[in-house]
Amino acid sequence: MAAGAGAAAPGKVAKFEQNLNRAVDEVFSTMMGVSCAPVEHGGVAGQETLSALIGLAGALSGAMVLHCGRDAALEITERLTGVAPAGVDAMVRDAVGEVCNMVAGAWKGYDAELASGCLLSTPTVVSGTSYEVFSQRAPIRMERSYGFGNAGLMVTIYCELPSMNAF
Amino acid sequence: MSGTVVLIVDDSSVMRKIVERSLRQAGIALTRVLEGGSGREGLEVLEKERVDLIVSDINMPSMDGLEFLRQVQSRSLARGAPIVMITTEGGEDHVREALAAGAQGYIRKPFTPDQVRDRVLPLLVPA
Repeated sequence: MAAGAGAAAPGKVAKFEQNLNRAVDEVFSTMMGVSCAPVEHGGVAGQETLSALIGLAGALSGAMVLHCGRDAALEITERLTGVAPAGVDAMVRDAVGEVCNMVAGAWKGYDAELASGCLLSTPTVVSGTSYEVFSQRAPIRMERSYGFGNAGLMVTIYCELPSMNAF
Repeated sequence: MSGTVVLIVDDSSVMRKIVERSLRQAGIALTRVLEGGSGREGLEVLEKERVDLIVSDINMPSMDGLEFLRQVQSRSLARGAPIVMITTEGGEDHVREALAAGAQGYIRKPFTPDQVRDRVLPLLVPA
């Protein structure tokens, strides 16, 4: 896992990473009936991909990005709704956005200060075959790949903490 | 228990489907499912239809769920139907605000059908 945090609050960042693993598995297990555990590689290269972005503000500023391939997005949609989509459509983009929304909400809920002090934006979803998502100003970057069933995804948190001393 | 007419308010069409599916899996017999893609659409539905249950997200653009809730209460649009808020915003302040604004229940995402059943069924049993 890549986690650039400079010299600030390494204990807090480590806790954020543990909470991310926990949040991803909780959302997939609870809403889709499948466990989703960390893996070495997310397997999203070489196919149409979708990225859902949720802004974070308040006690922590930044964004969470959930990135997955077409096959993973279709499986997520079917597991959530009970309906198998024919292709990547508005419903599929909505489903990926909602999963990112729930992971972000669960993740921040595990930390008492973030639970009450960090706000989430509504999701934005991008889909395509050749694009890159990056944050201009993010001293902290946590990235993890996950696998569920035969599919994979990647979750990245870009953030900065207003006051490292607060943690 | 006779069938239930439910209004589901959420800007996500996927989440509206998930809520409907969870209500059915929780054993709640739904005779009609009305939907609103925003707080304003939810109010428009309630102006024309009588429902037995209202389920609304909190974090929506334009009119959020708390404002929708306040409008429903001030305009007496619920007509006795219990209101349950479903959201990712799990801070205790949001819970207090929703309950103070008139919600009878609060479910945090992610949720299972069992959790939906435990929170919603008691609200639908006639007194």
